Amino acid sequence: MTLEAKRYIIAALGTLFLLSLVLVQWMETARKAEEAGLRPPHVTVPAESRECVECHAEENPGIVAHWEGSTHAEKGVGCLECHAATLEEADSYLHHGAQIATIVTPRDCSRCHDGEAAEFAQSHHSSAGNILASLDNFLAETVEGARFTFNPHSPTPGKAVSAVNGFASAASGCQQCHGAKVALEGRDGTRITVDDLEPDADGRPTNLDAVSRIVRDENGRPQLVAATWPNTGIGRLNLDGTRGSCAACHSRHDFSPRRARQPENCGKCHLGPDHPQKEVYEESKHGIAYRDLRDQMNLDAPNWVLGDDYAAAPTCATCHMSGNIRNGGVVTHDPGERISWTNRPPVSLVMDTDLSHRIVTETDPETRRSLIHDTAEQKRDRMKDVCSHCHTDDYVNKFYRQYDDLVVLYNEKFAKPGIAIMAALLEHDLRTATEFDEEIEWTWFYLWHHEGRRARHGASMMAPDYTHWHGMYEVAERFYMELIPQAREIARHARETGKAPAATAVERVVDGILTRPEHQWFEEGAEGQAERIRQEMERRYGRGQ
Amino acid sequence: MSAIARWLGDRLPVSGQRFRELTNEPVPYHLKRWWFALGGTPAYLFIVQIGTGILLAFYYEASPSAAYDSVASITRDVSFGWYIRSLHKWAATLMIVAVILHQIRVFFTGAYRKPREINWIVGMCLLFCTLMTGFTGYSLVYEQLSYWGATVGANITATVPLVGEFLKRMMLAGDAYNQATLSRFFVLHAAVLPVTIILLLGVHITIIRLQGVTEFRFKDEDSGIPKTFNFFPDHLYTELIIGLVLMVLLSALATILPATLGPAANPLQTPDVIKPEWFFYVAFRWLKLFSGTAAVLSMGFIAFVMFAWPFIDAWIRKHTRFQEASVWIGIVGVLAIVGMTVWEALVRH
Repeated sequence: MTLEAKRYIIAALGTLFLLSLVLVQWMETARKAEEAGLRPPHVTVPAESRECVECHAEENPGIVAHWEGSTHAEKGVGCLECHAATLEEADSYLHHGAQIATIVTPRDCSRCHDGEAAEFAQSHHSSAGNILASLDNFLAETVEGARFTFNPHSPTPGKAVSAVNGFASAASGCQQCHGAKVALEGRDGTRITVDDLEPDADGRPTNLDAVSRIVRDENGRPQLVAATWPNTGIGRLNLDGTRGSCAACHSRHDFSPRRARQPENCGKCHLGPDHPQKEVYEESKHGIAYRDLRDQMNLDAPNWVLGDDYAAAPTCATCHMSGNIRNGGVVTHDPGERISWTNRPPVSLVMDTDLSHRIVTETDPETRRSLIHDTAEQKRDRMKDVCSHCHTDDYVNKFYRQYDDLVVLYNEKFAKPGIAIMAALLEHDLRTATEFDEEIEWTWFYLWHHEGRRARHGASMMAPDYTHWHGMYEVAERFYMELIPQAREIARHARETGKAPAATAVERVVDGILTRPEHQWFEEGAEGQAERIRQEMERRYGRGQ
Repeated sequence: MSAIARWLGDRLPVSGQRFRELTNEPVPYHLKRWWFALGGTPAYLFIVQIGTGILLAFYYEASPSAAYDSVASITRDVSFGWYIRSLHKWAATLMIVAVILHQIRVFFTGAYRKPREINWIVGMCLLFCTLMTGFTGYSLVYEQLSYWGATVGANITATVPLVGEFLKRMMLAGDAYNQATLSRFFVLHAAVLPVTIILLLGVHITIIRLQGVTEFRFKDEDSGIPKTFNFFPDHLYTELIIGLVLMVLLSALATILPATLGPAANPLQTPDVIKPEWFFYVAFRWLKLFSGTAAVLSMGFIAFVMFAWPFIDAWIRKHTRFQEASVWIGIVGVLAIVGMTVWEALVRH
């Protein structure tokens, strides 16, 4: 090769290299612009989903617009990646040449997010649909509604109402959070659910007779029962045997991590008089800091690791699910992994759990130890990993001491005595086994289910007003002013109607409780304390007229 | 220009004429063939590594709590960080490839034979230093696989008889991976090994300059062609072209296949599959084929044979009739290395 030729090659290669640096500069500028939100992310529509996108952009532009803003769209995950179904699936149908299912279940999501799906499957969230035998469900389906359809008793002007759906409260209330048992309409008027389809390990129905009874429209589309869908309840019982709905937290169709990280996302369900976690959080210093420093939360960060990507304030996701630098940034989709007390039942339980993630209630120490797979202390340590980003060990440990003390006080002073009184009344036939048909049952329900939970949740998340005024104060008022008087009244009435032994038994339980040191003030008085309070009030505000 | 040369000449005891002679040594004619001009490639890539490595060291933090995050920050936040890190990663890969190719060329052309045995040993030292730099560099990322790769590497070292445990402790700065391990790897990677490589390269090039490059004549060559040609500018242009091709290739690889970042190291969770970087696949496969100490000892033996090969080859040529034994042994060796590397790449465990 001549020297002249070499010079030309050097010039060409040098230019090529400079052009490559220009390309790098362009990529860097584009990256920074995208990060700063100055440029919309690149959207890749997979060939198989192009027709879906084009048609639904006309029919339901919101769906497509949401999807275009998603990470799925950026990474080329289209409609069929999630909605594609096999011919065998009970709810699948041919839609413009593609075999799809309307409902996307955790099994579908697990095709790419298998780790997350597995964590979720073992969480308490995933079993939220198992409320058929719960008091809440009895309230919605029987007390508030009816477990059947009944006739209207007078006309509704302007609306032809031919039947009243007794399940309406459960369908629009409980099941929107807990999850419905998804049902298809059957030809014989019945509902076809997972129980009828008996799906195999791959989610395909094994009961083909049930499949043959599914009602389909003229296009072959199976008809979902309106009372069970739309539904994105977190413990939804799906037709393929899976439980849950990822869209409960990761709203379709943008599946925004940013939204899932914000407390409002959890607030769809975790609020209200019986479990006001969101309100409790908002009242706490954590919630106050979040409101003030929201723009420092780096909510769009790809990984969002506490201590790395942000430290301004914690949200629900921070403490219960997200990664932090202490745990190597590991995210969990089982919020129970960091919770050491369950404050859901009347009496709080320590969250020692077995292999199936159920709480171990065994009392024999040896047997208990053998059953426990993950202790409450281990769960608490995981939570402490989060706390310690902003608090010293001593601070965290003493907070937990305060929290434990409050839960134990509630348990011992009100919850266990309340249970004893209600059990005594039932045992001696002074109340029926049917819940909510007697005043004292409502009283007791308010005490533990609303006020007792508020007190415990308030203490668990540093909300003093919920702990005290919305919590323990109301628990005490309900206990002394309603539960005790109502129990005594039932006993008095029983004695008058010839049930003296039953009345005596119940009175013995009530008296036994009230003679305990912590309750003695109620009947024996606390005059010394009352006098000290009167003197202090006079010192502060002067003698009353 | 001449005024500047005069000014410098008055102050520095270097003659311009002597400098031109030094840098313009006649180059053997066979170096007109590109294949023979690749000896400078590893050195060129090494310079790229020094440059990009210095830039990365501005941001890297060598502690278990901060290492992964600093690498993530380089990749995500630092301007052009992803590009520099990708260049560093690909230049490392190409450097190892170039060193191995250079060594294969030297081996098959017998360029290690008397009087160049010492330079072969220096070259072997350079190969091992390059591999060690690759190993320590990958460990610095502190992602799951690099952490566990280093842990497995340390455990393998411990199986060396007599000194294994001591070497492992020296490597990890303790009995197990701890706070001090990463800083030790960092010092080795960013200071000790590069300086060693620079010193060895100096010796390597000095010996080449003292002995001259081995000259080859090819059967199809016209006997009338000159024996040598000028270093400047002819050979320099060739090296420049190779350098620019490498730079364009590196830039393309860095933009098309940028360096990725796996999950952060979690000492409590052993990954299902642990694999080292590709250049250790052959050793990893060997370790799986034989039990611990036997595998380590046999690898040590193979390394010894590689170092001593010029002397072994001389003995074979002197005492046997197999004059070209080295070629056949080399073919078997290369096939074994390629075969075991591919085998390890294809299997999950």
